[in-house]
Amino acid sequence: MLELSHLAYRYPGATQPALNGIDLQLQAGQCLGLLGSNGAGKTTLLSLLSGVLQPLDGQIVWHVERRLGLVPQQLAFYAGLKVKENLALFADLYGLRGAERRHCMERCIATTALQDKLERRAERLSGGEQRRLNFAIGLLQPAELYLFDEATVGVDAASRQLLLDAVQQLVAEGKAVIYTSHYLDEVEQVADRILLLHEGRVQLDIDKHQLLGEQPGLFLEWPEQAPDALPALLAELGLNAEHTPNGVRIATLDVEQLLAITRFIAAQPQTPSLLRFGRPSLEQLYLRLNGGRL
Amino acid sequence: MRLRALVRKETLLLLRDPHALAVLFLMPTLFLVIMAGAMSSYLQDRPPPLQLVLEAPQHSESSRFFHAALQAQLPDSQLREDGPIQMARVSLPADFDQRLLDTPHQGPTLSFPAQFDRLSRQRLHAAVTIALAQTRLRAYLQDSGALEEGLTPAEQLELIQQRTESQIDERERLASGDLSAQANATQMSVPAWLIFGMFFVVLPMAGSFQREQQSGALLRFRCLGLGLGTLAASKMLPYLAINLVQFVVLLSIGVYGLPLVGLPALALNGSLPAYALLAASIALATSSLGLLLAALARSSEQALLLGGGINIILAAIGGIMVPKSVMPEAMRQLAEVSPMSWALDAFLSLLVGHGSLNEVAPGCARLLLFAAVAGISGLFLFHKRVQQTQWTTHY
Repeated sequence: MLELSHLAYRYPGATQPALNGIDLQLQAGQCLGLLGSNGAGKTTLLSLLSGVLQPLDGQIVWHVERRLGLVPQQLAFYAGLKVKENLALFADLYGLRGAERRHCMERCIATTALQDKLERRAERLSGGEQRRLNFAIGLLQPAELYLFDEATVGVDAASRQLLLDAVQQLVAEGKAVIYTSHYLDEVEQVADRILLLHEGRVQLDIDKHQLLGEQPGLFLEWPEQAPDALPALLAELGLNAEHTPNGVRIATLDVEQLLAITRFIAAQPQTPSLLRFGRPSLEQLYLRLNGGRL
Repeated sequence: MRLRALVRKETLLLLRDPHALAVLFLMPTLFLVIMAGAMSSYLQDRPPPLQLVLEAPQHSESSRFFHAALQAQLPDSQLREDGPIQMARVSLPADFDQRLLDTPHQGPTLSFPAQFDRLSRQRLHAAVTIALAQTRLRAYLQDSGALEEGLTPAEQLELIQQRTESQIDERERLASGDLSAQANATQMSVPAWLIFGMFFVVLPMAGSFQREQQSGALLRFRCLGLGLGTLAASKMLPYLAINLVQFVVLLSIGVYGLPLVGLPALALNGSLPAYALLAASIALATSSLGLLLAALARSSEQALLLGGGINIILAAIGGIMVPKSVMPEAMRQLAEVSPMSWALDAFLSLLVGHGSLNEVAPGCARLLLFAAVAGISGLFLFHKRVQQTQWTTHY
């Protein structure tokens, strides 16, 4: 649906390019989780995709009509207008008319549960409701690609889940989505593909399930350092473990081995800071892959 | 469709902004009424009556003649024989009669309380000078035997007035330019504060653009590929309309509102098409300036300071706050750089000079030229500002 090839951009006066040779193909019905530390190039990539910036090199090729839905982090609506007036304004600007307009309005209002707030001025909505309105304006536009940039900042848990459900609904309808957020559990929930940027380059572009691994494992971490006797225990139990700075990750183990480790932990003077059995979270993987960069 | 939606949005936001409405309607109305009242004794068609004490120790024929001659010069004023110290006083010397034909002549003494304004002092001084000259002429005619015997004091005064007064024709040669010296308080205040209020559209206009950029709405517009012309027109059209509404409302307050508070009503002299041309020219000038300020300011606070500051300076030098007629020549020259001054001159050409399209055309041409320069500069900078709108993320 969308193809980026050798995409590059350098801000005026900057010594380093903000993006340097990005290659990416995005399919319909795919949700790309865009990750990276501050300055990695996420915002620049979104700016290029949305047409706010023009690439200095490379190209963006749309294989479908270029129609873009946009949910920026800023509350991009008019506080002095009512919810329905904001939606009507953007419906007009999106060129929606007649039955299509009605359908799009009803759908985005229902998706963001704003039915009871239509007559209220946006400035009088709660923080979560304002986020939902911002979301609704983005969803209102019939588009092939939707960009979500920190779209759930400061919303309560219920509103957040509503919005994440809306993103998943778009993907289920065959729309492409690029989702960037510092709440990595959100990205983990909605994205099926992870793109990690570092210093303007793609560091990792991988299927989420492949990244997280299907096999559950045991994750152990101590506040300072793992007990000295831990390696000996793991060797005694015949377990292959991947060592982390303050602990270990054990890919597979049986119940007896798990019980032995549990008894070992109980005998230690210091309790672990992390004890988790299951798949690693995206956040744990991100921190490992990103090397703790800010 | 897009332009209509944006204009509707801008209009709704403006109508729901009580601060903007107060700045655009309430502030100029208050200024208009207060300043018309404040200047009513200074700038008026008929000077106010004076309260005077005339001290004449001799109670002679000449001093009675002087009293009648002075009263004739100040027909509405009250001349009393005695009164409190706060009243202006004309004191004839004890030997008034004996010294009337002296050369040089020592006239009466004038004493003014501190609050007696300068214009009234000048008026009283002139009236005393004329009355004294007439009294001395009477004494001269009497002394030389040229004054007919048997005339009553009133007949003597009429005779002296006939001898001393000449017919002077007054013709207005200019119906345009600075007519502030001829304007009364209503004719001065209404157009001055109307123009001032119209220029204040730059504040909500620039402020709304800043909020639009800061909120991210402009980012959505950029992504939609909205054209510069559509964006700029959507900003200017609602404020042009508001300016025209201000023009009608504030003029109506001058015509119908001022008499309710005891001030003279504004007479809409001159031709109606000239008013229409003037209103359109001012509105174009203000909305173009608003576009320029919207593009120049970097925040709502900056827009407020920049717009308010520029307006007050333009008003101060442009004869809005102080009539140009009381300014020194250098300040009058400086006033020529203010578009508010051009608008006010054109307005006074209608209200005072009973002018037509021809008389307001020079002022309107300058305003339209100003609108073109400010508008083109504003469009250029506005385009740059829109282009600089980036996708920003705040963590």
